[in-house]
Amino acid sequence: MEDDDPNHQGLATETLDPALQKKHHDMLERLSARHQARKSDSPDSSSSSSTLESTSSFLTRFSDSKRSIESRIAESRLVSSSTDSSKVKSDLAEISFAIDNLEKLLAQNSYFLPSYEVRSSLKTVSDLKQNLENLAVELVPKKKFSFKTKSSSKKPESKLPESQKSDVVLPPKLPVRDSPGFRNKHGETLSKNFKGSSIGEFTLSDLDSCQVRLTGTVNALFLHRLKNCNVYTGPVIGSILIDDVEDCVLVLASHQIRIHCARKSDFYLRVRSRPIIEDSNGVRFAPYCLDYEGIEEDLKTAGLEEETKNWANVDDFRWLRAVQSPNWSVLPEEERVSSVSISGDGDS
Amino acid sequence: MGLLSIIRKIKKKEKEMRILMVGLDNSGKTTIVLKINGEDTSVISPTLGFNIKTIIYQKYTLNIWDVGGQKTIRSYWRNYFEQTDGLVWVVDSSDLRRLDDCKMELDNLLKEERLAGSSLLILANKQDIQGALTPEEIGKVLNLESMDKSRHWKIVGCSAYTGEGLLEGFDWLVQDIASRIYMLD
Repeated sequence: MEDDDPNHQGLATETLDPALQKKHHDMLERLSARHQARKSDSPDSSSSSSTLESTSSFLTRFSDSKRSIESRIAESRLVSSSTDSSKVKSDLAEISFAIDNLEKLLAQNSYFLPSYEVRSSLKTVSDLKQNLENLAVELVPKKKFSFKTKSSSKKPESKLPESQKSDVVLPPKLPVRDSPGFRNKHGETLSKNFKGSSIGEFTLSDLDSCQVRLTGTVNALFLHRLKNCNVYTGPVIGSILIDDVEDCVLVLASHQIRIHCARKSDFYLRVRSRPIIEDSNGVRFAPYCLDYEGIEEDLKTAGLEEETKNWANVDDFRWLRAVQSPNWSVLPEEERVSSVSISGDGDS
Repeated sequence: MGLLSIIRKIKKKEKEMRILMVGLDNSGKTTIVLKINGEDTSVISPTLGFNIKTIIYQKYTLNIWDVGGQKTIRSYWRNYFEQTDGLVWVVDSSDLRRLDDCKMELDNLLKEERLAGSSLLILANKQDIQGALTPEEIGKVLNLESMDKSRHWKIVGCSAYTGEGLLEGFDWLVQDIASRIYMLD
């Protein structure tokens, strides 16, 4: 920050006082320049994201925003009964955005504020958040916090067209090559041995009541829309991405495992990093239990020969708190299947 | 003397660049950053939140913000937009199913005013995987040709696993930013 002017670096070594004065002068100049820039950049309230450099002006700004947010919360509570739900949602989102800005303002100014002010301001922000959360629960039952209402209000739009889009919009643009995989099957046993094949990625998609056995190693595995299936796979070198599974038993090993939208499913995992879940519930975890001829060698190839115990270190992206997430649990030992043995053949 | 010229001056002295890495989850952002920095990439957990890495690259200091791509935390990306010099958008070239998700998120990002002046590097990652789309195909799907004329962008195929293509991409990015920021005054 200081002496960004190369000329006066020399001065600083000679005499202290003139140098200090110059620094001081430079600083004032910078401050006024910033002030000017702030004024011209953002005449509206968005200037709240700039630093203010003085405790009292910060406190004035902070309490102004606080009051305006409080009155907006009170207002929304009053008018809620008469307005439709999308209006309520957008109001909540706006208030939440205002609180975010307030928090940002605090963060940006925290370096010069006395610690008491920082603490009490933090308390104010968290109180406001709590108020908003309460309001959201009142107005939009079941939806908890406005971030959620925001993303879930998006979901119905993006979810449906997505499945259509991937069929309708993409093909004309893409020289469509379907990746290797099993798709659209019902009530079948599907086997595949990757040994000696050049397959890099493999997809299981739209399977109902199937048993899937994959042996050998593969670089990437995608699971999409499986229902009531049993999936047993040899080690995956890169990552496994799972989206939308229900009532399934999955025995998987990989470097990384991401689980989205899983319901009532049991995962038997060996994984080098921490597995994650998102938008899931009723999922249970246990250690990997697969056996087939040559699996030791495959595990070694994928760097998965050692049990890491990470199968129990699940991160729930919908539950960022210190207490255990209600969405997943460790599968009790007496309910686990004992080791699963499959044969290593199958068409390759 | 405006704010911008002060920032430029400060940056000129320190030769610092702020790089924001984003993209869908599972695209390999963290692996790329670690690989560039010559670190071990064998155990990487999905990013909960973000990582910051400071890397000396050529004569510049890159501050790389690697932000998690899970759906739940994408709405927080905007908290990292301020003062971004370079934007790296990472694509999992083997994930054909989510390419339209990928396009949608990228389009949203490019509408963002605070990112308007930043150079854009698109990394078509996972080229080592048999069956992955080529950078040309990814470019077509993402419709990069129709991008705003004022935007500096480039797409490069790479593999964070083998390291191939990473330096080519970052060389371009750093040069492009340098020619924009440091040659101006």
